[in-house]
Amino acid sequence: MNQVTQPAASPHAKPEKAKAENYVRIEGLRKEFDGFVAVDDVSFSIRKGEIFALLGASGCGKSTLLRMLAGFERPTRGAILLDGEDIVGMAPYERPINMMFQSYALFPHMTVEQNVAFGLVQDGMGKADVAARVDEMLGLVQMSKLAKRKPHQLSGGQQQRVALARSLAKSPKLLLLDEPMGALDKKLRSQMQIELVNIVERLGVTCVMVTHDQEEAMTMAHRIAVMDSGKILQIGTPDEIYEQPNCRFTAEFIGSVNLFDGKVEEDEKDYVTIRTPGLGAPIYVGHGITGFDGMKVAFAIRPEKLNISKEEPAQKYNKAQGVIEEIAYFGSHSVYHVRLPTGVKVLCNFVNMKRWASENFTWNDTVWLSWADNSGVVLTS
Amino acid sequence: MSQNKRQSGFSMLMLAMGFLFLYIPILSLIVYSFNESKLVTVWAGFSVKWYFELFKDQQMIDAAKVSLKLAFATACAAVVLGTMAAMVMTRFRGFRGKTLFSALITAPLVMPEVITGLSLLLLFVSLGEWFGILQQRDISTMWIAHVTFTMSFVTIIISSRLSELDRSLEEAAMDLGANRLKVFFVITLPIIAPALLSGWLMAFTLSLDDLVISSFTSGPSSTTLPMKIFSSVRMGVSPKINALASLMILIVSAAAMLAWWSMWRTEKRRQRDMQLALQQN
Amino acid sequence: MSRSLTKLKKRLPGSRWLVIAVPYIWLLVFFAIPLAIAFKISFSQAAISMPPYTPVFNWVDGSLSLDINPKNYLYLVKDSLYVNAYLSSIKIAVVSTFLCLLIGYPMAYAIARMDPSTRNIALMMVILPSWTSFLIRIYAWIGILKNNGLLNNFLMWTGLTDQPLAIMHTPLAVYIGIVYAYLPFMILPLYANLVKLDLRLLEAASDLGARPWKAFLKITLPMSKAGIIAGSMLVMIPVVGEFVIPEMLGGPDTLMIGRILWQEFFNNRDWPVASAVSIVMLVILIVPIMIFHRAQAREMESKLV
Repeated sequence: MNQVTQPAASPHAKPEKAKAENYVRIEGLRKEFDGFVAVDDVSFSIRKGEIFALLGASGCGKSTLLRMLAGFERPTRGAILLDGEDIVGMAPYERPINMMFQSYALFPHMTVEQNVAFGLVQDGMGKADVAARVDEMLGLVQMSKLAKRKPHQLSGGQQQRVALARSLAKSPKLLLLDEPMGALDKKLRSQMQIELVNIVERLGVTCVMVTHDQEEAMTMAHRIAVMDSGKILQIGTPDEIYEQPNCRFTAEFIGSVNLFDGKVEEDEKDYVTIRTPGLGAPIYVGHGITGFDGMKVAFAIRPEKLNISKEEPAQKYNKAQGVIEEIAYFGSHSVYHVRLPTGVKVLCNFVNMKRWASENFTWNDTVWLSWADNSGVVLTS
Repeated sequence: MSQNKRQSGFSMLMLAMGFLFLYIPILSLIVYSFNESKLVTVWAGFSVKWYFELFKDQQMIDAAKVSLKLAFATACAAVVLGTMAAMVMTRFRGFRGKTLFSALITAPLVMPEVITGLSLLLLFVSLGEWFGILQQRDISTMWIAHVTFTMSFVTIIISSRLSELDRSLEEAAMDLGANRLKVFFVITLPIIAPALLSGWLMAFTLSLDDLVISSFTSGPSSTTLPMKIFSSVRMGVSPKINALASLMILIVSAAAMLAWWSMWRTEKRRQRDMQLALQQN
Repeated sequence: MSRSLTKLKKRLPGSRWLVIAVPYIWLLVFFAIPLAIAFKISFSQAAISMPPYTPVFNWVDGSLSLDINPKNYLYLVKDSLYVNAYLSSIKIAVVSTFLCLLIGYPMAYAIARMDPSTRNIALMMVILPSWTSFLIRIYAWIGILKNNGLLNNFLMWTGLTDQPLAIMHTPLAVYIGIVYAYLPFMILPLYANLVKLDLRLLEAASDLGARPWKAFLKITLPMSKAGIIAGSMLVMIPVVGEFVIPEMLGGPDTLMIGRILWQEFFNNRDWPVASAVSIVMLVILIVPIMIFHRAQAREMESKLV
């Protein structure tokens, strides 16, 4: 499941065309620890100027992959090509790559200025040049006023800005972000996500970020790679990952989803029907799939794609009746847990257009769920 | 719930009695150093004459000088070697022979001093026999011996600090272009500096106080203060020793107070800084 | 040895091999090899020469001949003085360790439960005495325990006794001295261990119905096992070979092997016998030392990321 298809065009592609498709190339990268395979023969490429996210649960191998990019772990096998150069043999201090650590790792005995200047000083830059560059970077992250402070005198958000400035000071070819928003509280997180992306895009820096937070990945990245057990399951833009998951894992990992297991009944060029024990009637999918009659598939449909109504909808297929068992109220929307007569539970998102609960659906209401032909995805694995 | 928060009466009592046990001898030393009478524990009036006697005793003063010089040199070398060993224990991944190395580090912590002292002397004698070096036993042989047995204590102190140190600080420095040597001197060392000082003081104290190992490895010209005190005490108890003891206690207590006060001050300043940071944002 | 050195050099870039080699070689040369030399000389015989023992390795016409004499070991076994001294030393060490544990555990426990601010002061007060000279503190006990010393003066003044108690130069004095000197070595590892104990575990226990003493026995005590072992080894092993305390506070009937070794070496000038004494002591202690090493290594490993 490591085949990666590069989509032709995506609504989220940024206006500036990426100069090199394969600015960063990972080829057959593998890492084993005492027989345990952390990264399992991974290959993909990253465009120049792209923000690329590695998304997965803890232990999926994303951090190991990042550390191999940084140089803190040596791959068991494989190559990493940055701008055409294989960097696997290089020590971390030789690579044109910089990393922003989850804990920020600001040097406690140095001031903000000295922290940001550190990498430049290591390169032997002249004092005046260093000062100018540090000024520039601090201005970029709006920390100029606090240049003389020490890390313990800064709040979490301020420390993050300094860490970002420090990692961008050397204009690295590749910027690595390790759970960038992990240490911030929710309000600050949303604000910083936008700021960070703006800064990175403004500078045109190619960026790889690692996160377990799907919201973060979806908000910040141009493309996401979903990882599990050392393998990459799918690479795509956020909407591709969300609307066109290629397997059960990805469908379930991102957001919530309703899955129905079944068999293909009719396999035609422009439509497919699926018989599933979960629903009474067969499912009608408005496009063809590469498959055959009787093939085992799963049908995935997101809760927000379902219509909910008191009256039976007119369409022939893609509908089911059930009873509302539970309601999860989120203020802006509610999630209805509808129990079908077959015993299956279906989640349905409903925007609370009407203000009062009494005007919406309530517990034990019998309702009809329905969806359009192309609202769901057929999964073969 | 409240039972656990409140201190058990029994353990507090033991603590108080324990402290009494630890400090009564020390206090008695000090009190009797001011005793007029030569019979240490028969009080005959207040006097500071024993302090003057002490300063007139040239042999004592020479021994003190030797001890201080030796302790200083020992502490410096022990910190260097101990830090190296600590880096190996905490930062270097398993290499063949690491278990032996680790055993060589922990064994001196518990080895009876008579064994280390005797074996070191035999080493020096043998070296003198085979290679003609270290023929004289003097302050340099004692220095070697002291460094050997104090090094492990320093290693333990510094290992403990190093293993607490956030590894990502060193990684960040490497990521920004510093090679391992630079990372050690520019990042690691300044951050663990207090532990280095701790280790230095520990080695200094252990060396200053050592009797057994010094006795085995010393020569005619290198009598240390503990050796002098020991031979003096064998001949009988004297308030001069009390005076010496009181001075040593005074110096150590003053140093400890200073250290504690300075730590308290930096901690208060740090807390103030963090409060400021929180308020600002 | 040089082959593994070059192998090491190749595997580690730059100056890293130096960082391993310097302390390693120092400890091998000045700690391990001396023990081997002591072993060698224990097979030698005392002689009036410089050095005062017969050579073990003899080069006769270019070939090596060994002059090994296990006489010293037989001597140790046959003479009941040595056997008794070893047994007595072990007994004293075990009893002292137990006493230190008895006194030190409650103290460590109390300190571990204090607020962080008072805790540091209490800790320093425990450590402070050990920074002042060990010798001098033992000397202080002479002044307290002797016939016209502080303790006896106090007892007679309060009327508890009318004759001075002869404590000096008895085993009791030695026990007091040892416990006094080694108590901080028991308290510190115990404290380090107890302070990490999560108070919530005890709260959970009492929530489930356990009374304080039961919670202590079933939860606190087993979890502080590592600290107990470390502290006990730190006291027991060195005390076996202790010299100063039995010499200054003990009498002719307090047999301790450290004293015997000293006398053999300094008074009898019998280096080979002294070496044999030390080797036998080492053999006796090798198992406790290994236990200690295992516990230390485990402690350090648990901190390694």
